[in-house]
Amino acid sequence: MINVMLTGVGGQGTVLASKILAQAAQDKGWHVRTAETIGMAQRGGSVVSHVRMGDRGEEVFSPLIPKGSADMIIAFEPAEGARMLPYLAPHGMLVSATTGIPSVSSALGQNPYRGAQVIAALADAFADAPERLVIVPDAAILKRVGNSRVLNTVLLASAIAVDFLPITLDDLYGAVEVCVKPAYIDMNLQAIDLTLG
Amino acid sequence: MTKKLLMGNEAIAHGALEAGVAVVAGYPGTPSSEIVETVARQYARGAAHGVHVEWSTNEKVALEMLFGASLAGVRGLFTCKQMGLNVASDALMSLNYVGVRGGLVLVVADDPGPISSQTEQDTRRFASFAKVPVLDPSTPEQAYEMVKAAFDLSERYETPVIVRPTTRIDHASAFFDVQEETHALPPLDGGFQYDPSRWVIFPRRAYEAHGEINERLPLIAETFSSELPFSAFNAMEEAGESFTGQPTFGILAGGITAAYVREALRMINERAAQANIGVPAYRFMQVGTPYPFPERAIDAFTTGLADVLVLEELDSVLEDQLAAFCGRMHGAFNIHGKETGAARDRGENDVDDILARIERFLGLTGRLSLYRFRGNSDYGARSIHLSARAETDLPDRPPVLCAGCPHRGAFYAVKQALGGRQAVLCGDIGCYTLGNAHPLDALDTCLCMGGGITMAQGIAVANPEKKAIAYVGDSTFFASGETGLSNAAYNGHDITVMVLDNATTAMTGDQPHPGTGHTLMGADNKPLSIEACLRANGFTLIERTNAFDRDASVAAVGKALDFEGPSAVIFEGACIQLVKPKEPVIINNEICTGCKRCITAIGCPAISFNPNLTGPRSRDRGQATIDKALCTGCGLCTQVCPFHAIHMDSAVYRGAPMFVTAASQTVDEALADQELAAQREPGRLAETVVDARAESKARAGAHVSREALEDDAARMQAYASAAPASEEAVAVGEVAAEDAEEVLEETLEPGGTLEEVGERAEEQQQALAAEEQQAWIYDGDDDGPPTLFSAFDATDGEGGRND
Repeated sequence: MINVMLTGVGGQGTVLASKILAQAAQDKGWHVRTAETIGMAQRGGSVVSHVRMGDRGEEVFSPLIPKGSADMIIAFEPAEGARMLPYLAPHGMLVSATTGIPSVSSALGQNPYRGAQVIAALADAFADAPERLVIVPDAAILKRVGNSRVLNTVLLASAIAVDFLPITLDDLYGAVEVCVKPAYIDMNLQAIDLTLG
Repeated sequence: MTKKLLMGNEAIAHGALEAGVAVVAGYPGTPSSEIVETVARQYARGAAHGVHVEWSTNEKVALEMLFGASLAGVRGLFTCKQMGLNVASDALMSLNYVGVRGGLVLVVADDPGPISSQTEQDTRRFASFAKVPVLDPSTPEQAYEMVKAAFDLSERYETPVIVRPTTRIDHASAFFDVQEETHALPPLDGGFQYDPSRWVIFPRRAYEAHGEINERLPLIAETFSSELPFSAFNAMEEAGESFTGQPTFGILAGGITAAYVREALRMINERAAQANIGVPAYRFMQVGTPYPFPERAIDAFTTGLADVLVLEELDSVLEDQLAAFCGRMHGAFNIHGKETGAARDRGENDVDDILARIERFLGLTGRLSLYRFRGNSDYGARSIHLSARAETDLPDRPPVLCAGCPHRGAFYAVKQALGGRQAVLCGDIGCYTLGNAHPLDALDTCLCMGGGITMAQGIAVANPEKKAIAYVGDSTFFASGETGLSNAAYNGHDITVMVLDNATTAMTGDQPHPGTGHTLMGADNKPLSIEACLRANGFTLIERTNAFDRDASVAAVGKALDFEGPSAVIFEGACIQLVKPKEPVIINNEICTGCKRCITAIGCPAISFNPNLTGPRSRDRGQATIDKALCTGCGLCTQVCPFHAIHMDSAVYRGAPMFVTAASQTVDEALADQELAAQREPGRLAETVVDARAESKARAGAHVSREALEDDAARMQAYASAAPASEEAVAVGEVAAEDAEEVLEETLEPGGTLEEVGERAEEQQQALAAEEQQAWIYDGDDDGPPTLFSAFDATDGEGGRND
């Protein structure tokens, strides 16, 4: 079983990313279940998508990932990734965007939230296993792509390029073509290429 | 046919369409809303032939409409969330006595947690109270099968049937084969059959009908136990080692919890095999038809058991029925569950909790824990924890009103207009419930759909010295606001109703309602007027205002508050999901003083505070900053800033960032963050650093247009002379205007004439652009610019899951 958790802030596009991953797994003949955060939390709150794939032919029962068993957490926002660390498996990898999204409650406080602090805390937490932490310079890549709406594709491409999941870039290309609206396919495919440098 | 990834709610809709449903109606409510939306989408695509689909004004209306359709001989599907059934219960209780003709299925989505609801009520309990059969799926696939089966059951026994998914069924997805096109079944026997002795409910008929219900429920229970497809929803399995010839442990589960149990049992068996430990023999059964309780299947399940662990969410529905069954049958087994503290008494279940409870039940606690983790490789295997300090520093991120939400302006205006007056602010159900959060602190109460208008009347009666204010959204207004309005007028209650008209049902995903006129059948009918409804219900003082115009809104609220008797203010402003955003506002960091007023007054998620930004007036206090991706240019903050440091109408400045630095703070911040991170992670982010430097150079070279500067000065003067409300405001305005002029002069002086500054900046920008482009072209050489993933070269082939 492969468990991938996608986490971020409502509106960042985790739902489409989880669909793309699910499609890639389905195309490989695996049983897949996903679960989404829909409703009140979508209004700028913390959101989580779960993608569970039976890569060994097994059936997936629960749509939710148990604690300590996410093979990968893809964080669209560093604090949201940090929040979900209890779900990371002991061999699991965290792929996180760099750009922090301020929250209203933290803007009101004495020490406004800055993404860099969390990135630093993550680097400390992973000090013994630095190869399990991937920081994606999302702002720079998105600038290169010229469209901030492809953050989900950029992060998926990053997650797959580290060669940790048994899903290839070709699988990703194929799934993007199925899941993304035709008008945006080229933009997303280009985003994958530009992510890889 | 290729399989499609469908959410549980989408699968439910397809199941109903494939069962020949002809009329679909409901009222939006998380987690149920996507069912009606999916039917509407299929209809709009021309794939759902013969179906009528609508958002009704509320759940009671929807169910009554569907009951009419059922008596007219067609299949009907009703959808709502758990509290929606409370609204429709008047119809449900009676129509069960009358009995249905065309199959009538109610999909009522429960919300354990609760994640987006006011209650954790259990619709299975409601079903037994109403004496209506209920099906309880454990997967989206089962929900799809159950909806189809429910229509057949409904027509066979002339009973309404409830299907009760929960959030983790509704919003979980799996791959499905569904029919491309569907056709509604024609009306039974030529439509409505005239028979007043059946369709007109009277006490004598109700007495007879009660007997009929009591006779059919045991028959349905027998169907659930022994007939496919229902008996498959109550499947039983045995596993574990047999020590005594047959299992003595039993696990009974319902809903999504049954899926968690299957997962937990697999984990237990795998870990026990790794540890070479025997798992005691056990029997597991899912109860997919909780009411009427499938007693014959339960009897087979409990035979020979000494202990049964009951696992379910919300109420102890299975546990109570099992206890009743056990008592009646003189059963000799112990029952463990919510009532005995062996399961959570509220909230959602999850695999982790279920696993621990089953381990305890089977006497395995502590024996499998060493084998808990089954990673593919032990490469770097270690649980990762944030330091306690970092953990507490993580920002809270509760849901908030969106940037650009019109409700923010309404809440702010009401508070401003109230001034020091005491008031009780009664909220209602919708996005605007989020107005209760700090810093808006706009709501004092929230109860149920339409309850704000009527609660305010009770407060006005009991505490006449306080202003009684009710907020109501436009969709809620039509759903259940109007009876409260007429009560206020009839009984003479001194309340002020603030109608927050954002032209949609926003919280549940922008469904249309009577005030929009849009229907799911494609036709647009004349929108109903909220103002006319208020007038018809006896409201005489009705103010309309633009929710984004602070001064006009404050004046409108003031007028309504001063009126004795029922009054109303209609705040108009479209939900941001309906309209194209305007250009983001700009914070002039020459003027921003870092006072945080924009943040503490309105709490917009697009405004944050950056302690590292400096300016002549903020010095080292830091400054407010705008997230351009979130800001919709609503302009509320420009009216809140006491120093007029925030500007909209940025068309004036388009292409020429005002005062050099104001345009792209968000990108700057992000890049600064990345630079910081790069210092800690040398090598990995080298490319980002290059980027960040280029960005800051670009900033330095950005040019200033004379028009922009002059316009800004003029704007400042206009603010100062626009008859502000207070002396303080006059003073602030004058200072701001002087500041702007000073800045204008200073900016012009050091670099020569404006034209010269502009030309130089343009040259610089062109050079930079060329340089950046060069840096980003990957030359195909492996030793080229450092790439994002170069840090992984060293570990390639060691870890990972690709063998």
